[in-house]
Parts: sequence; C-alpha cells; structure tokens
Amino acid sequence: MAKTGYVLAEFEKEGGLLAAAARLRELGHRRLDIHSPVPLHGADEALGLRKSPVPLIALIAGVSGAVGGYLMQWWMNAVDFPINVGNRGLHSPPTNIPITFECGVLAASLAIVFGLFALCGFPRTHHPVFEVEGFRTASMGALWLSAEVNQGDEEAVAGELEKLGARQVSRVGANP
Amino acid sequence: MSVTTREIAPDLDALQGAPVLVGRPDDQQITNDLFQPVWQATRRGWLALLGIAISLTGLLFFAATYTFVVGIGAWGNNIPVAWAFGIINFVWWIGIGHAGTLISAILLLFQQKWRTSINRFAEAMTLFAVMQAAMFPVLHLGRPWFAFWLFPYPSALGVWPQFKSALMWDVFAVSTYFTVSLLFWYVGLLPDLASLRDSSRSRAARIAYGIFALGWRGSARHWRHYRIAYLLLAGLATPLVLSVHTIVSFDFAISQLPGWHTTIFPPYFVAGAIFSGFAMVLTLIIPARKVFHFEHVITQRHLENMAKVLLATGLMVSYGYLVEHFIAWYSGNKLEAFAFFQTREHGPYAPVYWLMIACNVVVPQIFWWRRARRSIVLLWIASILVNVGMWTERFVIIVTSLHRDWLPSSWANYRPTWVDWSILSGTIGFFGFLFLLFLRFVPSVSASEVKELRRELEHEGHSLDAAASTHGS
Repeated sequence: MAKTGYVLAEFEKEGGLLAAAARLRELGHRRLDIHSPVPLHGADEALGLRKSPVPLIALIAGVSGAVGGYLMQWWMNAVDFPINVGNRGLHSPPTNIPITFECGVLAASLAIVFGLFALCGFPRTHHPVFEVEGFRTASMGALWLSAEVNQGDEEAVAGELEKLGARQVSRVGANP
Repeated sequence: MSVTTREIAPDLDALQGAPVLVGRPDDQQITNDLFQPVWQATRRGWLALLGIAISLTGLLFFAATYTFVVGIGAWGNNIPVAWAFGIINFVWWIGIGHAGTLISAILLLFQQKWRTSINRFAEAMTLFAVMQAAMFPVLHLGRPWFAFWLFPYPSALGVWPQFKSALMWDVFAVSTYFTVSLLFWYVGLLPDLASLRDSSRSRAARIAYGIFALGWRGSARHWRHYRIAYLLLAGLATPLVLSVHTIVSFDFAISQLPGWHTTIFPPYFVAGAIFSGFAMVLTLIIPARKVFHFEHVITQRHLENMAKVLLATGLMVSYGYLVEHFIAWYSGNKLEAFAFFQTREHGPYAPVYWLMIACNVVVPQIFWWRRARRSIVLLWIASILVNVGMWTERFVIIVTSLHRDWLPSSWANYRPTWVDWSILSGTIGFFGFLFLLFLRFVPSVSASEVKELRRELEHEGHSLDAAASTHGS
C-alpha cells in the first residue's frame, strides 16, 4: 500500500469550506474530512457521505433485546425452574412486560453507543491530524478540512487548497 | 462576561420573554466562559464544600458498615413498618433523578431551546441521584453481600429469580436507567472533552481528557453518526424514564394495602418525580450560576420556565392526592376511608402529612405570579421546600399506610434511628461530593451545544429580519 500523508487547511467561512471539499472531490480525492466544533449543514453532501447505519443497528438490537428478555423470563420461570405460587400461571405475559421493555431499551442503547464508537473508530486517541498544533482549534471554533493523500501529492493538494481560499495550510509527513 | 439579565429585562417582548442566550458570544468566548470553572485555580469555597461533603460521605460509609455488621436491626424498621427509610429514600432519590432525563431527552425531542444550557447539569444530577437511590434497596436486603443473587446468572444453586415480583422489575428498571443515563451523558460530553483536551495547558490534563475524548476530531464522519445516535438515545430515554417511576410505583400499587393499592400511582409518581427533580435542579443551579457567572447562558428564561414546570407538576401531584381521597370515599371501602381520612390527617404522623400538603400543594401556587417566578431567592427557597415536601410524601405513603395495618393488634409506630438519619444525610453528602467533582472537572454547561444554539438563533434572527424586510416592501 502506498504511503499516505495528510494535508490540513483551515477555512474562515462554512461556505468556503464546503465548496473546497466539493471541489477536491471533483478532482478525484475521496479521503476527505471536515472538522468543526458543531455539526455543519451540508457537510455530508459535500463529502458524499451516506446515511448513518446507527438507526438500523438500534432497531435490530432493541428488538433482539426485547425478544431475548421475554424468552429469558419464560424459560427461567416456566421451564427451567417452575415454582407454583398460589396456583398462578407459570407463564404470565402481563408480568413479563416491564422486564421485556427494559431489556429492549438496554440492548438498543448499548448497541447505539458501542455502534457509534465502532463506526467512528473509537477509541483512537492518536491520529495524524493531531500532529498539527493549529488543529487544536478545530474542536473549539475553527473550521478545518483534512485530506489523506498519497505520498508526493501533498504539494499539489496544498496548492489547490490555498487557491480555494484556505486561511492556512499544513502538511503532515507520510506515515508508514 | 458579566451581562446580567436585569439590564435587559425592562424592554422585553411580552410574548418572547427573556432570551435563552444573552448576547451573541463567538465560539472562543463561549469556550472561555464555560471552561473557566475547569481551568481556573481551585477555589477555597469549593474545597470547604468538598470537605463537608467528604465528612458526610464518611458518615454514610460508617453507618453502612455498621448496618452490615449489626444487621437491619440497626434501623428503625419494625413489623408492620418493614419498609421505611430504605424505601422512602430510594424513591425520593430516584425521583430527583428523573428531571435530568426529562430535560435532556423529552425537551430535546420537543425541540425546546431552553434545555441546552441546563441539560448537562441535570443529567449529572440524574446519574448521581440514581447512585444514591440504588444503594438503599441493596442495604435493605439484610445480606447485601448477596446482592448479585438479584441478577439472573447461571449459578450452582440452580435457582432463577422470580420475575412476577415487582422487586425484580425494579432491579432491571434501575440498572437499565443508570446505564442508559450514563451512556447518554458520556456521549453528550464527547465534543466538550475533545475541546478540553485541545484547550488544556498541561500535558497531564491533555492526556487525561484525551483518553476520555476517545479521539474525537469533530469530523463530519463522527457528527453524522453522533447526531442520530444522540437523538435515538433521547428517544429511548423518554419512555424509559416514564417506565422507571411507573415500575417503582408498582412496588406499592400491585400490593393490596390501603394507601398503596391505587391505579393513580404510576402517573402520580412520574409527575412527583419530575416535580422533585426540577426542584433539585433549581436548588443546585441557582448557586452554581451565580458562582460561575453563567447568567448569560442560564438566563431568567430558564429559571422562569423551570418555575412553570414546578407549578404544572405540582398541580398534577395535587390532583393525585385529590383522586386518592375521592376513590377512597367513592369505593365505600372502610379500610380505604380509614387510611385516607383518619390515619393521614389525624394519626400520629399527621404533622408530616400537613407539611407535605404545605410544601407540595400550597408552595408551588406562588408561581402563578410572574414576580415570584422571577425572584431568584423565592425560587430557591421554594425549590428546597418542594424537595422536603416530596420526601415527606414518600414518608406518608410508606409509613402511614403501614403503621395502621389490618389488625389493631399489629399496629406499631415507627421511629428512625441515628443510623437511618446518618445514611440519609450521608447520601446527601455523597451526592454533593460527586456533584462538586463534576463542577470542577467537566464543563457543567455544554459548550458544543451552546455554540450550536447560537448558530440556530443567528439563523432565526436572519430569517426574521428577512421576513420583516419583505413585509415592509
């Protein structure tokens, strides 16, 4: 695999940033990212990102959790360890409702959060973009664009970004 | 920044009310203001409060250890009042926690902008309150070291829990609630933890916050998953919070004791929980807002809206009291009538009952007046009275219903012991201890959400201006 490096560019305005991302995509760069302190409208379109799979993950986990919770209660109380309490039915659907619901919510929430971590690649406390000292502002107020480029292409992309109106452009050396 | 709301109060639009964000601070300003409590040097006042909280926490651990060694006999519980402080405090604390979820989840779904500055605060309160709550049933087990028996795990005993018991429902409800609240709070914190990492001046802080930020880069790829994940968690937390206090109320409602056996319990418990939780948010946020100079992000509008919620939920709670009494009369059941019209109003615990009525029914009525809703001192005092009132409500429900049982021969009064009082005050201290750590190490108002709010308000301002100009032409 070819060695890659990163080019980072800070933009002043949201419009300029999104236009620059769209332009680089036109030029054939695919490994782009936008970094901002708040979610930006239009970022997904500029980067050509598809819809997040998180809702589907949540649905599958939630339904499985609820079904699993119900089966657990039925199997434990009616099959594996039946106790006759005042001749009440061993399998009692109404009394299974609360725990079925809680199991569904618990499974869905855990899947959402750990699914989010997996999709974002967390935890990953080190990343080449952190090499640029100025990038610290990305989480506070500044708007940044990052492009992962093949070794040797850095200069061309940096030049393009400067032309597109970046306030500052930095390069991060190739990483093996 | 020291803009006070009073300066801008006189020329308010009556329909708009006070703003949810005073001024339009830029991102840097918001970061600086909201992170100030984290980056500033430790204050003496904070240390003093921490000292008090740690001493009370010590008292809690001492009293809990004493309970482990001596047994439940160290508490004032007896037969018939077998459920006393343990359950009163459990229900009280968990109810307090509910406002946090309401503010962060339900108000998010309803797109209420005023939730933004107070949600982190309220969620932290939820977490810490649920931690206190969960301690009580475990201590009350008698043999708390076997608490893990409550969970369905394959054991050599070959026994499974009995899921027809409301107490098992509690185990699942409370543990799910704690887990989901923790996840929701932590996910909400991620962008701010990254900002803390990036604004830190020391290497140690950078590493510590860097680990907790998990590598958040504010990337569009992160935000894309993050936004929907946060919204879905809010969507799940909303029915969850309603289910938790409903299940807590089932502990009582599915029994047959007069005073407990009523169908109004689930909604009335949920309303009471929100009522006490909002009161606790006010009790905590009013001093914190003052000390940290957060008046421009936690504005008059937030306090006034919370006062309105107190009034509304207070009325729901009052309605609950009314219906309980009506049904007791309407059912024609002698034991019900005795519980509701004799023991509560005239029994040995009548003063507690009347204190409950004063705090929960009478006190919130002052919030019909705008002057009261805008008076910070009145709000703070009322919030404390509501907390007291909601504690006495649980005392009334539990102790007065139990102490006059079916047979006069088994009647007995209940008196809490020093161990009971120590554990209660100890949990207040432990809660305070956790809260003080939260205020010191994490921004108590979400900077990333306030930044987003500012953009939304600016956007609205622009479209309003645009609408006005087209109207004029």
